Amino acid sequence: MDALAMAAPFAPELVLLAAALLVFLLDVLGVRHLEALGAIGTAATGTSLLLVIADLGFGPLGALRTLGASHLDAVPAPGTAPLYAFSSFGLVFQGLFLLAAFLVSLASLSRPSHERGAAVFFGLLLLATLGMLLVAIASDLIFLLLAIELTSIASYILVGYTRRDPRSLEAAMKFYIIGALSSTLSFFGASLLFGAYGTTNLYAIRASAGAVGYPVLALLGFGFLLAGLAFKTTLVPFHAWAVDVYDGAPSDVSAFLAGGTKKIGVFAFFLVFLGPVLYLRGTGGANPFAGPPFDIGPVVQVTLAVVAVLTMTVGNVLALLQREMKRMLAYSSISQAGYILIGVTIGTAPALAGATLQVLAHVLMKSGAFLVVAAVAGLGVGPLIDDWRGLGARRPALSVAFALMLLSLAGVPLTVGFVSKFVLFSAAVQAQGLFVWLAVAGLLNSALSVFYYGRVLKAIFFDPATPTPAPSGAAMGAAGPPPLGAGGIGYARAAAIGLIAVAIVALGLYPQPVLGAIQSAATHFVAGGA
Amino acid sequence: MIPILSLVLATLLAGTAVTFLAGSRARWAALGTALAFLAEVGFLFLGYPGWPGYNGAMVPGFADQESYAWIHLYWMHVNYTVGVDGISLVLILLTAILQIATVVYSWTESKRPAAYFGLVTLTCLGSFGVFVALDVLLFFLFWEAVLIPMFFLIGYWGGPRRRYAAIKFFVYTHVASIVMLVGLLALVFYSGATSFDFASVYAAARGLSPVVQVFLFLPLLFGFAVKFPVVPFHTWLPDAHVEAPTGGSVLLAGLLLKLGGYGLIRWAVEVLPVGFAHVRPIVFVLAFVSILWGSVLALSQRDLKRMVAYSSINHMGIVLLAIGLGSSLGLLAAVLLMFAHGIVSALLFMSAGTVHHTFGTRDIPSVGGITPTTPALSTMMMTGSLASLGLPALISFPAEFVALLATWEALGYLVLLPLAVLVVTAGFYLWMMQRMLFGPPRGIPADAHDVPTHEGVAMGLLVALSVLFGVLPGLLVNVIANSPVKGFPGT
Repeated sequence: MDALAMAAPFAPELVLLAAALLVFLLDVLGVRHLEALGAIGTAATGTSLLLVIADLGFGPLGALRTLGASHLDAVPAPGTAPLYAFSSFGLVFQGLFLLAAFLVSLASLSRPSHERGAAVFFGLLLLATLGMLLVAIASDLIFLLLAIELTSIASYILVGYTRRDPRSLEAAMKFYIIGALSSTLSFFGASLLFGAYGTTNLYAIRASAGAVGYPVLALLGFGFLLAGLAFKTTLVPFHAWAVDVYDGAPSDVSAFLAGGTKKIGVFAFFLVFLGPVLYLRGTGGANPFAGPPFDIGPVVQVTLAVVAVLTMTVGNVLALLQREMKRMLAYSSISQAGYILIGVTIGTAPALAGATLQVLAHVLMKSGAFLVVAAVAGLGVGPLIDDWRGLGARRPALSVAFALMLLSLAGVPLTVGFVSKFVLFSAAVQAQGLFVWLAVAGLLNSALSVFYYGRVLKAIFFDPATPTPAPSGAAMGAAGPPPLGAGGIGYARAAAIGLIAVAIVALGLYPQPVLGAIQSAATHFVAGGA
Repeated sequence: MIPILSLVLATLLAGTAVTFLAGSRARWAALGTALAFLAEVGFLFLGYPGWPGYNGAMVPGFADQESYAWIHLYWMHVNYTVGVDGISLVLILLTAILQIATVVYSWTESKRPAAYFGLVTLTCLGSFGVFVALDVLLFFLFWEAVLIPMFFLIGYWGGPRRRYAAIKFFVYTHVASIVMLVGLLALVFYSGATSFDFASVYAAARGLSPVVQVFLFLPLLFGFAVKFPVVPFHTWLPDAHVEAPTGGSVLLAGLLLKLGGYGLIRWAVEVLPVGFAHVRPIVFVLAFVSILWGSVLALSQRDLKRMVAYSSINHMGIVLLAIGLGSSLGLLAAVLLMFAHGIVSALLFMSAGTVHHTFGTRDIPSVGGITPTTPALSTMMMTGSLASLGLPALISFPAEFVALLATWEALGYLVLLPLAVLVVTAGFYLWMMQRMLFGPPRGIPADAHDVPTHEGVAMGLLVALSVLFGVLPGLLVNVIANSPVKGFPGT
């Protein structure tokens, strides 16, 4: 009974773990149907998502909560150094991670059923998601970095799981090498921090930093940690790998990487840099950064601000130059990371809420876009943007859904992308001072991004189709009317894409329920949780 | 109280959805939506007081106001707030009229009719929203909601250079929108307003210093001036109008340009009167240049549609001039002019469309003497041209008369400048009529027949309205002049 009570808060994680083990077991037993394994993956991520939402006390689901309300946002007793802590902000992120995993898992039910490696795909997807959930409850650097490792190692294999496509294998190798480098940097940073403060616990580090300030060793530690996490989050100048990996990986995996795993870096940023470094910003009063050798708060903020602006701008400018759809989406994903980093830089509760909403928007838009790319590739359309010409006439529903995702990425009103940018940028303006320029940079970048999204829309809807000699291009050419309906891309994938499109518009029109939950979680986080 | 404005929005929203899904019966769905919309607008008018005289004060008081919480940020609230006053009411009437006219005119559209009529309905939905929105964000939302369907209307149904025109339209108006949004957000944040509501922004903006007001006014002016369009920023207009399908041109000239005028009045002039007073010289210069440049370019066009497009710049220049006067008479003139231009330019673009598919070209010198062949078309085209050049008893005359009167009142003998340009305007219309409608027949195909029924009905409707409001301008004047306020004590 006691063990059960201890395990209950981990219900979402345990569901994933059990499902992952079940998938591998079935594989060993010879059950390798993609539909069966995929159903397990989808059901597990879906259940876990519902459990997390229940734990947040959201609506009628609140009755199902497994996590006692007293555990949520509890500040640990002084002197204790817990490995993990449940914060409502962490739960929100768990929900976002699970949403990405659920959508990708659902869509992947429509992968060609003769494809080998279904167990690898769904099993690793579940394990990676498990790692992401653990990131969101970490309150110790080692716990955090190990959880990131779990996700990373699973995703290295996911990128190359088809084992046939040399591009995919190359991407996996590149991802692995860069990932190892990034882990090394992070762990090195953590060990330096341990040297400086004698602990790896984030609460304890915060307390020590308040007492003894920031010795050079600690500054180096934070610097290395920043670099390591910047790799994960694809921040400029640590972004170059992302394009090759998202491009080379199977599109469903890219959807998971861009929509899901990348966001653990974002959350780690919140934990590390808002906890120990910028903690107590916005609460007014004493300056917690003033200490030997000097006040590092502004330094960190300026660094982050520069990185944010660079990331937005470089991502957008390079996206303008791309001719391939996946590479364009990859660069746009980089620029979106820059927007999110604005929230970390400012560090007030409104900014955090804006950044979190932007993460949610990005999960929907970017996972959705890559899922559409996978669907369209399945129809025999080539990788270039020009190959998408005339898709609007042949596949109106799919094209409209894709258009919604792109418009949302561009921050056009009536979509969730507009609301998230609005909340984020107005938080920047409200924070006053130099932060206003972050909002200006963000706005200019959104204006710029419209051009490359607009170019894609033009190709899809206005340009006439160019018949391409694609192997499975039976749908093309002059023969017969264009095919309609879900046939060809699979019902599960169509359902996932449809769900995303509806969510983009629904949240664009009435974001309040979700925004309210995010705002209250962000307030708790800034006010004192981990 | 009936939430009539939300009801109209719901009607248009449902109508748009049904139209998109209605397949080959989309035109009926679109027509039904438009008629329901018109009926609701009629109901709105019935509930609006007509007579007590214009008090001249620009007080933000609105009829049928509704407000619901929408997005709650930590420190301020964004609400769904809608309401109308006389200015928006007249422009809403214009929206309903043009929606019906466009749907009827495009009755036989065969290229993906469901999408076409759906986008037309969506454009009108967006315009209606712009005219009723009393919240910064809601306003911007509808503002952009107009842009996107129009982008697709031009880009998919347009003429040979449609892709270029659509992209150019999108780029110009999008950049303008962004600048406008920056201006509006800066207005909200710097004025210290506690919500995005018009009333709150309006009240908070009183406290801004003149310098700040000027700096906030300029981005707004730029944003709205591109939509107007005002001369240095006008180059998207000829391309967009010429390449758009006729229905698209009608909505572009009839509605979209009015959004610029309305936005300038509601969100810039009313909110930042001091800033406006300081930049009035710039506004005058822009207005005069637009009036002159528009008419000179119109005079030199060979393409009928392009000529009408440039004449739009000319007419909207007069609107800008009237707004710039900053007097209540000027404001009245501006709104009347916008209504008149909406009706007349729609009529002229329809004429151009009919000329194009009847004679296979819109080149003015190569078609002539069409009156014997197509008397009905010729009559309606002539009515439109005469209305546009300001013939008494047609709709533009009272509007231009009031505009000139207001200019005289405010600027004295400078009124001679726009007056002189009006002669040029009359010139290019008369010259066009002389060449196309009269004289020996030229370039008329053997199988040419008079205007098709549905197009005739649409144009006839507009002709009738230009006569009606030309003879009885008081119908509109009283609504506009009564502008602020229903149910506000002491007015």
